[in-house]
This record gives sequence, structure tokens and C-alpha cells, in this order.
Amino acid sequence: MIEGYQPKIIGFLCNWCGYAGADLAGTSRITYPANIRVIRVPCSGRVDPLLVIKSFQQGADGVLVAGCHPGECHYVEGNYYTRRRFALLHPFLEYLGIEKQRFRVEWVSASEGKKFSQLVSSFTEELAKLGPRREA
Amino acid sequence: MQEGLTQQIREKARELLTSAAVDCIIGYERASDGLTARPLFAYEPNDVDKLIFDQTCTHNLSRFLVDKRDSTVAIVAKPCDSRAVNLLLAEKQIQRERVYVIGVVCPGIVEATWGQINDRLQARCQLCREHTPPMYDFLVGEPTAEEPPVEPYHDVAELEAKSVAERQSFWAEQFARCIRCYACRQACPGCYCTECFVEQLDPQWVGIRVAPAENEFWHIIRAFHLAGRCIACNECERACPVNIPLSLLNRKLEKDVLELFAFRSGLSAEALLPLATFKKEERLGMGE
Repeated sequence: MIEGYQPKIIGFLCNWCGYAGADLAGTSRITYPANIRVIRVPCSGRVDPLLVIKSFQQGADGVLVAGCHPGECHYVEGNYYTRRRFALLHPFLEYLGIEKQRFRVEWVSASEGKKFSQLVSSFTEELAKLGPRREA
Repeated sequence: MQEGLTQQIREKARELLTSAAVDCIIGYERASDGLTARPLFAYEPNDVDKLIFDQTCTHNLSRFLVDKRDSTVAIVAKPCDSRAVNLLLAEKQIQRERVYVIGVVCPGIVEATWGQINDRLQARCQLCREHTPPMYDFLVGEPTAEEPPVEPYHDVAELEAKSVAERQSFWAEQFARCIRCYACRQACPGCYCTECFVEQLDPQWVGIRVAPAENEFWHIIRAFHLAGRCIACNECERACPVNIPLSLLNRKLEKDVLELFAFRSGLSAEALLPLATFKKEERLGMGE
């Protein structure tokens, strides 16, 4: 592990679950690493693969997409599309030379502040072990 | 045998134009090098004697169907081309009653450049399993028995087996050559957006400069926009002036779509495309 290295995580959180979960972590005074930069999106289905690629290109060490649990989407079925899209993008990223560990899709409900905190902690730890992305 | 194909295509084309069943026939004619083929738009019965079909007819003519969606056309389609017609129908880009498909039983297309023909089949044709078009209105040639599938993804698997660092350098080298002429997009029957994301200015996703990051962005998103849609005609790779192995990107996604969703694009005009649908009960290893 590189001394003093702090990975940058871009987190796309859906307004209704992921973001509300992060908010709950905050109001419950549950701490989580400040390595995550949160971008609020209306639904995890809004997250275009283009945004993920752009994040990596602009220097993100990891990208997190957090949405409602399947079956609990605020828009009923948005996250089912998310699931398919990223199930396909994930191996493609690896194929292009972006380590599998650098991308995560997680389901975090509005009541799961604790889960959100643990998620960001474990993701940060894992990325710190992995080190910065190698220059091509 | 191939002279027979040409004759049958001409007869059908003459019949269609004479009876005014269609406004135009999109087919192939001999290019001015006297060896290779180029697209032909035949509007008059007199034009049909220019039509040909042989192993140099590489273009995927379904590329032109979206431009011609307001008239009634007949198209000469190889199996891969007819899969593209199915894709366009599935995506509601063209109307079934406005397109007449003259399907051709394809002997495989050879490698050819301007003024020069190799006898070797193109890579895509060496891997091809469908010599009879999956859809047509009129079939030219004798349907052949399906051949046993060859291992179609051996080169993809080879690249997958390499280390992350090796893959990263491999793609960086490939994308560095790109001059962003967008010939790959122009050749593709699936790339029909009137405004492509690379041309959007607000937000400007991709800068116009030819630079590594911009090139990489273009190629990744181009490939992903065709995920579950690409019909493997490989015209993008053939059109590429700097020989970027685009089929390695397209076929990786094709392979994963097949594994994850058991889907191959273009086999039916009614198909629901894998990223435009879902199954509630599936798991796919996301967020568990």
C-alpha cells in the first residue's frame, strides 16, 4: 500500500435509496471515509455507462453506483435496467484494462445508513490496497 | 454457381422494378477497378443488368435502409445483412412493408482491397455459422445445411486471459492509432442516430481533438452502444483505415450477451433487445 495514498471514488447515488441511505448515515452520525464524491441522480437507471467511463478518465480510482434494491425502485423498474446494463459493462471494463474491483453496483435502501457506511469503507480499503490506476 | 446468383438477382430485380412494386433496388455492381464490388441503387429496369453478386460483395447495404425509409426498396442481403434488417425492424427504424429482402445464400466474402483480391475468406466469414439468411422475402441460391459452429471467440478469450496491465497497454496502443474519421460509425447499420453523442456540444462528452483519452472514450462508448445489437457484419473493422481490431470489442460484448442473456441479435424482427428489457428474477451478480 502506498503511504498517504487516498483513493478517489465517484458515487452515483439514486435520489430515493442510495442518497437517502447516505443521508441517514450522516444524520445518525455514522462516519464513512471522505474518499467518496457523491453525485445524486434521479434513479440508478439514469447512470449512463458514459458517465462511468468519463469518471475513470477524469481520475477516479473507483466508481460506485448505488440504487434501490431490485423490486423497490421508486420508478418501479428503473434498477432492473441498471442491473442488466452494468452486468454487461463490468466485464467489459475489465477487458479494457480497468480492474474488476474498481467498479461496484450496490443496492442500498433509505434505511441502510449503516450498510452505506460499511460499503464506502470497504470499497476505500480495497482501492487503497490496489493503488492508483496505472498510466497507460 | 455465383453467375447463377447474379442472374436470379437480376431477374427478381427486373420484375420488382417493372411492376413498380419497389422504387429502388439496393444491390451491388462492379467497382471501377473491375474486380471488387460497390453499392448500386437501381431505379430503372435498365439498371438491373449492372447488378452482380459474388464473393467480393462485402458491404452491408442495410446501412442505407434508414435513409430510404420513406420509399419502398428492395435490398440484396447476405445472412449478416439480413440480421441487420431484423435489428432495424426490431428497433422500429423501418417498416416491414416498405422493404423487400432479396436474401442470398452466402458463399463467404473474400478479403479484397482496391484492385486486388485475395482468395482467403474474411475473418468474419471464417467464423460464420449462418450461410442462409434468417429472414428474406425471396431467396437466391440453395439453402445449405448449418455448419458445426467453430469456436467463434478464441481471440477474445486469448485477450481475456492476459493481465490487466497487458490489456490496458494493448488497447492504449490500438486506440492511439485512431484518427477519429468515424468510418466505423458510417459503415455500421446499427449507428443511425441523427445526432451522435460525439457531436453533441452541450454537454460535450468527447472533445474534437484526436487525443488518447478522446479516442478511448469514442471506442468504448461506440462498442457499448452496440452491445446486444451488433450483428457481427464487421464492416466497422473493414472500413477502419488504421486497422483497429474493433471486432475484438464487438465480439467481447456479443459473447457476454450470449452468456448472460442467451441472446443473439438480428435473428428475429420481434426480438426484445437485451438491454431494453429485464427479468425480475434474474440475479446477474450485481450488488449481492
